[in-house]
Amino acid sequence: MIRVEDIQKHFGALHVLRGITFDVQKAEAIVIIGPSGSGKSTLLRCINLLVEPDSGKVFIDGVHVNRHGIRHEWVRQQVGMVFQSFNLFTHLTAIENVTLGLTRVKGIPHDQAIEKARKLLARVGLAAKENAYPAELSGGQQQRVAIARALAMDPKAMLFDEPTSALDPEYIREVLDVMAALAREGMTMIVVTHEMGFASNVASRILFMDAGKIIEEGTAEDIFQNPKEDRTRSFVSKILR
Amino acid sequence: METAAAFPLRAPPKLVTRLTIVHLVEMILGGILMVFVVLPSIFRFSLVSASFWQIYGRFYVTGLFGTFFYVALTLPLSVVLGFLMGWARVSRIRVFSWPASLYVNVFRGLPPLILVIFASLFGTNLVPQPIMDRFLSGFRRGDIAVGLAAIAIAMHSSAYQAEIFRAGFQSVPKGQQEAAQALGLRPWQGMMHVILPQTFRLSLPPLGNEFAVLIKDTSILAAISGTELVAKSRDLLGILPASGFPIVWIFAVWTVVALTYFVLTYSVTRGLRLLERKFHTPGLESISL
Repeated sequence: MIRVEDIQKHFGALHVLRGITFDVQKAEAIVIIGPSGSGKSTLLRCINLLVEPDSGKVFIDGVHVNRHGIRHEWVRQQVGMVFQSFNLFTHLTAIENVTLGLTRVKGIPHDQAIEKARKLLARVGLAAKENAYPAELSGGQQQRVAIARALAMDPKAMLFDEPTSALDPEYIREVLDVMAALAREGMTMIVVTHEMGFASNVASRILFMDAGKIIEEGTAEDIFQNPKEDRTRSFVSKILR
Repeated sequence: METAAAFPLRAPPKLVTRLTIVHLVEMILGGILMVFVVLPSIFRFSLVSASFWQIYGRFYVTGLFGTFFYVALTLPLSVVLGFLMGWARVSRIRVFSWPASLYVNVFRGLPPLILVIFASLFGTNLVPQPIMDRFLSGFRRGDIAVGLAAIAIAMHSSAYQAEIFRAGFQSVPKGQQEAAQALGLRPWQGMMHVILPQTFRLSLPPLGNEFAVLIKDTSILAAISGTELVAKSRDLLGILPASGFPIVWIFAVWTVVALTYFVLTYSVTRGLRLLERKFHTPGLESISL
């Protein structure tokens, strides 16, 4: 479903991604872990072209997307993205956040957009909050609205950039539950997270990244119990403690 | 079954609250007290005297319409210029941001009186002759000079408004545009539907403040004898000795002028407060001055 081939990215003198290659099959849920600054977020942003890779290829559903002639807007409709800081549109209510993409990008009539948005908000457990502004919602509720907003575009895959890192501990669960349900329903997803419970229970594979490279790749058991690389072992021992 | 139309989204906020009405009543009572009690008892003149208005009336009405005209000219112009300059200032493209910075610094750094003097003395020379012939041939040169001076005042105010809009733009977190793009919105759609509505809400309260300043600044046009309230009132005082006008009425004239500016600025800032309330959004409040 998603294939990344030898991606390189520099920010000025900083070499952030040093040749990343991996595949994600349809309905697979991949978790990426790694120390901060290892390039995880940049890698996700390269997939929906919020960041343009310097070299290398990104394929989505077989289409080479980072080449001339492919509109970025089209690519971004294929993969939904959920951010660490939610980034809900502050001036719009929960339901308006969900309908904006439907009416403005997909050109769906307002009534149908509302109907669809209501279903999605119900799916993330927020049917009662459709008229609340982001500032009136808890962090967990905001992040679930953000998930509904991304799902509204009927993406082929979803990218999650540390979706629970900015949450108070009591709200982490409700967001992870929504994500786990999505994975069970067969959504293809790539999740950057340090939630080891989620990684163990939901991820089909875990990638460990450090300094712009994929150091090790394997099942939760491989990575957490029997890491082969020293760097993986030292990182895992720090986060499992 | 309820349809989207029959089941409205969030109700708009209440515009006229009890506080609005209390404010209004306070102002009206205060005004009545001032005109009918304070002024007559302390200064021994009344603003409702028929002989006073018989002489001052014509001057006042001409001047007031002049002031209205210059406000109507400068206010929209300054908002448009200020918005464009503020937008250009946050642009990553140097060709936009650099001239905008220069504009803001120059027009903010010069006193409006100096700008008005320059515009009226030399402004007409800056207007290309074809435009003069084509569009402005029906006007007297003096009127054109005052018009240009008014535009100079608008530009002075627009420099401040540019800073207000710049702050508004910069208060919208970067993640908002990123989220818009991640949904598949084009950059201009993100600007239209995500960034600008937030900039607008954040800029409204300080804009009200600046509007009040601009309205009062139109009085500077009196320095070059533009037809407006201060100039017309001053004109009257010039013919006073011949008209049998009691000396204490000089004070009355300037009291009327002061009250007029107060009512003007007060209603504009109140009107903007209504707009603020109409677009009020939790999480997008900015400090009201």
